[in-house]
Amino acid sequence: MSEPSTATEGATKASAPPPAAHDHDHGHDDHGHGDAHHEDAIHAANPHLAHHFDTPQQQFDAGKLGIWLFLLTEVLFFAGLFCAYTVYRSMHPEVFVYAHYFLDTKLGALNTCVLLISSLTAAWAVRNAQLAEKGKLMLNIVITIGCACTFMCVKYVEYSHKYHDGLLPGHNFQPKEQIWELDSFRHKHPEAAEYAEKLAKLDEKKNEKAPAAGAAAAKGEEHEEKMERPTEEELEPLIAAGLVGPRSLDPSAHISRPRMAHVFFGIYFFMTGLHGFHVLIGIGVWVWMLLKAMKGQFGPNYFGPIDFTALYWHLVDLIWIYLFPLLYLIH
Amino acid sequence: MSDEKPEAEKPETVEQETSGETSEKPKSEPPAAAKSEPPKAASEPPPASKKSEPAPAKKSEPPRAAADGHGHAHDDHAHGDSHDHGLAHTTPVWLLFAILGALLVLTVATVAVTSIDLGAQGNLVVAMIIATVKAALVCTFFMHLLWDKKFNLVLFLTSVLFLILFLSMATTDRGEYQHLVDEYRAQQLQTK
Repeated sequence: MSEPSTATEGATKASAPPPAAHDHDHGHDDHGHGDAHHEDAIHAANPHLAHHFDTPQQQFDAGKLGIWLFLLTEVLFFAGLFCAYTVYRSMHPEVFVYAHYFLDTKLGALNTCVLLISSLTAAWAVRNAQLAEKGKLMLNIVITIGCACTFMCVKYVEYSHKYHDGLLPGHNFQPKEQIWELDSFRHKHPEAAEYAEKLAKLDEKKNEKAPAAGAAAAKGEEHEEKMERPTEEELEPLIAAGLVGPRSLDPSAHISRPRMAHVFFGIYFFMTGLHGFHVLIGIGVWVWMLLKAMKGQFGPNYFGPIDFTALYWHLVDLIWIYLFPLLYLIH
Repeated sequence: MSDEKPEAEKPETVEQETSGETSEKPKSEPPAAAKSEPPKAASEPPPASKKSEPAPAKKSEPPRAAADGHGHAHDDHAHGDSHDHGLAHTTPVWLLFAILGALLVLTVATVAVTSIDLGAQGNLVVAMIIATVKAALVCTFFMHLLWDKKFNLVLFLTSVLFLILFLSMATTDRGEYQHLVDEYRAQQLQTK
């Protein structure tokens, strides 16, 4: 778009009249080519105005319409995943209650704040571009990129934790820890955690007495050493999380985990993964914008690219605003 | 705050003017451009009046547009607020920080509210309301939709509308086969 010099806007403005006058000398005069003539003048004054646009305003509005259309498709793109989430959660609430204990709310909240701050700097960068504040523009872009990288680092920490703890989709879902061993569960439901441990010990004994085949026979003996009836505080959280009751993986055991818990991690990794992929692309585009900004290309008549990148960035932020409570803040 | 109309008309007006005028006084154009710009931008009446009397407007138009297109944008937004600069609204810094503050407060609120029991769906509803308020703040101010052309807002809301349609259609028949699944499970457990 910008073969002519990449001088600052101010310089371009100053040098505008001479080229225009030069054109006049060549004059397509008299014969009604005034159109092309006039456009030449506008284009000469705006090195970043693409040849197929008449004015900077037209170029900007066309670009803005384009980016909004793209954002529209992005919303629909994520809609499929939100739909999967909605349907699965409405049918298997216990899986979501169970799985959310494995997610670190603090890291999620940290990432939310990081993205919100980067949204501020992105919006500020647009203002800087409009006012041709080159230094501030570059600083804001750098902060935005820094926030994006922080976000990805936190994501990496979260993902690697899940990988090591066997919290993966499909057959790879082999949790190394039971949720009653997790701090997040213990803090919230101390009685239930204790009770769950007792139940787990019972199951261990049962398995020792009757390895594999005679599980049904062993059940009779156990009834004798059964403990007193659990209180509601002890039982309720375990049922809600699908650890006991008909929705658990193995209803014949005293305690297990909910069936299909791995589907949550399928949804989790797809939603956050696709979002993280968008953040990565965003980092790439911001780096490109930083290079353009360093050349001093942006000013009152040409700030579209910054504006459009920021719009994309805000959309990525918007999606996270919904992902955070949906995945991390399940009650 | 600019409407669709004046902008859409712009290219036409520019064309008319130039084709009529260039042959008359081509040489004086560029200098006049630079000189006439600042006062014109200030005194220019809103686009509506330009439409009704095209003759006087013609003379002032081409030079200003030729200068750098800057003034051009000004008259589109002349009826808007004072933050207009160039091609679009410029958001004041204090407003950006105010919005960030509100967003952070809402984030803290949504985390805090999780520890309060609001019933089976209550917590989800509250979390979604807070998220939607946050999303609205981002859209309205960070994404400039408040000052943007309304068509872009319509576009965005269309996608949200389809998202809602999609989700509600999918949830209406989500449990249709659940009883079959449960019966099957029950049978399997009995036979075990």
